[in-house]
Amino acid sequence: MEKVLQTANSFPLWIFALLIVGIVIFQGIVFIKLCTKASSSVGMTNTDVKAAIRAGAFSSLGPSLAIVFVAISFITLIGNPVTLMRIGIIGSAAIETVGASIGAKAAGTDLGSANFTAQAFTTAVWVMCLGGMGWLLFTALFTKSLGKIQEKAAAKTKNVNALNTISIAAMVGAFGYLGGSEMVKGFNESIVLVVAFIVMPIIIWIANKLKMSWLKEWSLGLVIIVGLFVGYFIS
Amino acid sequence: MSISNEGKNIALSEGTTGAKEIGTTPMIDFETFQIKSHFWGRLTIWAVIVLTLAVPLYLSFVLGFHPGWSTIISGFAAYASIVMFVWVLEPISYYPVLGVSGTYLAFLTGNIGNMCLPCASIAQNVVGAEPGTKKGEITASLAIATASIVNIVMLLIAILAGSYFISLMPESVVSNFRFVLPAIFGAVIAQFAIKKPLFGVIGIAFGLFVNIGPVPRSLQTFLSILGTVVVCMLLEKMKNKKKEA
Repeated sequence: MEKVLQTANSFPLWIFALLIVGIVIFQGIVFIKLCTKASSSVGMTNTDVKAAIRAGAFSSLGPSLAIVFVAISFITLIGNPVTLMRIGIIGSAAIETVGASIGAKAAGTDLGSANFTAQAFTTAVWVMCLGGMGWLLFTALFTKSLGKIQEKAAAKTKNVNALNTISIAAMVGAFGYLGGSEMVKGFNESIVLVVAFIVMPIIIWIANKLKMSWLKEWSLGLVIIVGLFVGYFIS
Repeated sequence: MSISNEGKNIALSEGTTGAKEIGTTPMIDFETFQIKSHFWGRLTIWAVIVLTLAVPLYLSFVLGFHPGWSTIISGFAAYASIVMFVWVLEPISYYPVLGVSGTYLAFLTGNIGNMCLPCASIAQNVVGAEPGTKKGEITASLAIATASIVNIVMLLIAILAGSYFISLMPESVVSNFRFVLPAIFGAVIAQFAIKKPLFGVIGIAFGLFVNIGPVPRSLQTFLSILGTVVVCMLLEKMKNKKKEA
């Protein structure tokens, strides 16, 4: 196991991981530039652009911190660089753990066990990388077609309203599912979810009432802090 | 840096409507934005595809730890049977919310439900943009791109610093982080429920149903989204008919 981690933390793997991190950062910067350039054509002011960027930055702090905590537990199993490259791109920590364990099992051993060989590690990396590629391939190949379907639908104004309804409903459906999956985990999770459900409108109401739009940018961060406090005291 | 410079250029151009090109920052219309999104989105995703293939190939054939194709295929087949549907259903399901640029961003960086979508919807709320519109897409992409950078930088720092800091924290604090997700989801559902209370109820109902009911894991997201969309569309239609009558 220790010898495996030596390979897993070797220099060439760090290079691969850092290249992937570099591409993710590069993509982010390219799209911020593109969006900024296109912003005035969709009626956004410079202030709007900055507010959207700030909202993205503040709102991502909480989720990011949670992701980082999960990632740390992954390091002890598959080493630093592979953790960085697998958690840094598509595929949640949970699903990557599943992929890595299935890979190790296919090689006849278990993740983190004493007889986790270099071959088992390689199998785990194969399974995770091929598994994560499904999303990447589909997105790279078919996003254009999805766009064309939407473009055709958006040609009529009646359809634009429908698209708006679909978008909102899709979002609510997605979060209904995600929220539901947390609620079935346990009573404490359900309480935190309900508290967040109540606190969020209060923050938005205060922000609107006192005309403090910066408060909205911080809203998700604040709700997470409240949720953590409530969770801490009830569990 | 270069981003804030562009911001300044835009500030300069605000007063002069109709001017297509100001200084060093040419403005682009939404169509050009889409074309460029496809180009850069595909380029970055293909680059990552090549790199993620290079890693196991390097382990197998440069370091010589190849476990044999049959082992890899049997592992991959087992894994694929779990995630296969998600590969296709997730991009399709999230597309109406993310748009072209958002899809490229979110499906490279990952963490769509727990990070990208919440960030996008908060930003849309701050700016006052509706999801599914052009303004909504640009706003969402700005937020997701920023979130993606913040996330990977934090991850990089955390991993470079190793598990050292976390090992200093008491166990009760670390285990407490499991409450981050329910807090995020509760907050975002509430945000939509304020605007469309009925949608919120339907979404939660479907969300709970697919989680508790006999629905295979890989179909849960898709069914919850599809169900909510279909029922909400039907309700909107009924409302419109009532208005006409």
